Amino acid sequence: MSRPHHNRKDLSLWAIFRAPLVLFGLSLIGLIGALLQDGVWDAVFSAFLASTVVVTAWALIRSRS
Amino acid sequence: MHARTIRAWSWTHKWSSLISTLFLLMLCVTGLPLVFTHEIEEVLLPQAWTPANPDGPLLSLDEVLAAGLALHPGEIPAFMSFDEDRPVVNVTSVEPNAPAGKYSFEPIDRTSGDVAPPVAGHPVMEFLLQLHTDMFLGLPGMLFLGLMGLMLVVAVVSGVVLYAPFMRRLPFGTVRVKKAARTRWLDYHNLLGAVTAAWVLVVGLTGVVNTLATPILAYWKNTALKDLTVAYDAPAPMGERASLDAAVERAKQALPGMTLQFVAFPGTDYSTDHHYAVFFHGDTPLTTHMTTPALIDARTGELAAVAPTPWYVKALSLSQPLHFGDYGGLALKILWALLDVATIVILGSGLYLWLGKGRRRA
Repeated sequence: MSRPHHNRKDLSLWAIFRAPLVLFGLSLIGLIGALLQDGVWDAVFSAFLASTVVVTAWALIRSRS
Repeated sequence: MHARTIRAWSWTHKWSSLISTLFLLMLCVTGLPLVFTHEIEEVLLPQAWTPANPDGPLLSLDEVLAAGLALHPGEIPAFMSFDEDRPVVNVTSVEPNAPAGKYSFEPIDRTSGDVAPPVAGHPVMEFLLQLHTDMFLGLPGMLFLGLMGLMLVVAVVSGVVLYAPFMRRLPFGTVRVKKAARTRWLDYHNLLGAVTAAWVLVVGLTGVVNTLATPILAYWKNTALKDLTVAYDAPAPMGERASLDAAVERAKQALPGMTLQFVAFPGTDYSTDHHYAVFFHGDTPLTTHMTTPALIDARTGELAAVAPTPWYVKALSLSQPLHFGDYGGLALKILWALLDVATIVILGSGLYLWLGKGRRRA
C-alpha cells in the first residue's frame, strides 16, 4: 500500500506551479500575439516570450552568488 | 501524490523520452541553423543582381513557364511562385513519375526569360531541411518524426507532473550548484523544463501537424475538391491546357484585393489532376499565413471554384510559422534559437540523469 508523499513542510501545488504557470501564460501570449500583430508589436510580444530567458538567467545568476 | 502514481508517471517520462531523445536531438541541432535560413542564405547566396532589361516589358507567365521547362526537357510543371522584391518567377518542375520530392527549381528573369541567381535553396540548407523534415525517407520518415513529436508531448506532460514531487521542498528556480553533478543537472533539467514548457509544446505540436501535411492535403483533395473532378476521368494532358496568364487573371478577378502567392499545376499535392490552383494570401499579419485558392479548369480556363480552405488546412498553414519562428522579426528568431539550445540541454541532461541512474544501480 503506497502512502501519500506529503507532509507539513511541503510546498503547496500552487506554490510549486505558480511561477511556471505565469511563464507558460506569458509565453503563449507572446507566441500567439506575434502571429496576430506586426511591426512594433512583434517586439512587444517577443518580450513576453523572452520572459523565459530572463527568468532562466535570473535563476542561474542567483544560484552562483 | 502516491508513490505508485509517481512511479507510473516516471515510467511514462522515461520511456517517452528514451524512445525519442536521439531524434529530438537531431531535430534541435538541425533546427538551430534552419531558424536563420533566410539570414544564412543572404550570406551564402549572392543577392546583388539586376534584371536583364530593368525597364523592359515583362514576359507573360506562359512564356516564363516555357523558358523554365525548356531547361528540363520531359519534365512537367509543378509550381510557380513569385519573388516579392525582384521581377523573378520561380518555375518548379518534376519528371512524370519521379520519386516524391525530386523537383527542379529555376528562377526565371521575367524581363528576359534567362535564369536568375537563386536567393534561396542553398544546398547545405536544403540538406538540413530535408534531414529535419523526413531524414531523406519521404512520407514514412515524416510520419515517424511526427510520432517522435508526439513522444515529446508525452514527455513534457509527464515531466510537468513529475515536477511537483521533485520540487516539493525547493523554491522555484533552485539550482544546487554546490551539490553533486547529478543533483545539479537534475535542477538544470527541472528549471529549463518548467520554463520552456509552453514553447516546446507549441513547437512540438505544430511540428507534428506539419508532418501530417501530405495526408491533410490528400484528405482535402478527396473530400472538398472531389466534386470538381468528377467531370473528367483522365488528368489534363500538357497539350490541352489553357493559357496560364488567363487562368491567373481569372483567379484574380475571383479574389479581388488578395495577394498572389503561387500556382499549383494539375497533378500536384496542392491541386487536382484537372485544375490550376491559384493561391492567394491576405494582408493582415494573420491572413498572410493563410491561403485561399481559386481553382481554374486547366482545359477551359474557366473558374471552377473559389475554395476557402477547411479548418484543418488552415491549422496546417498556421502550424508553419508557429514551428519555424519566422513571423516576428529577428528578435523572435533569436528567442527560437535560445529556447532550442535550452531544449538540447534538457534532452542531454535527461539522458545523463538516466545513464547515471543505470550506473549507480549496477
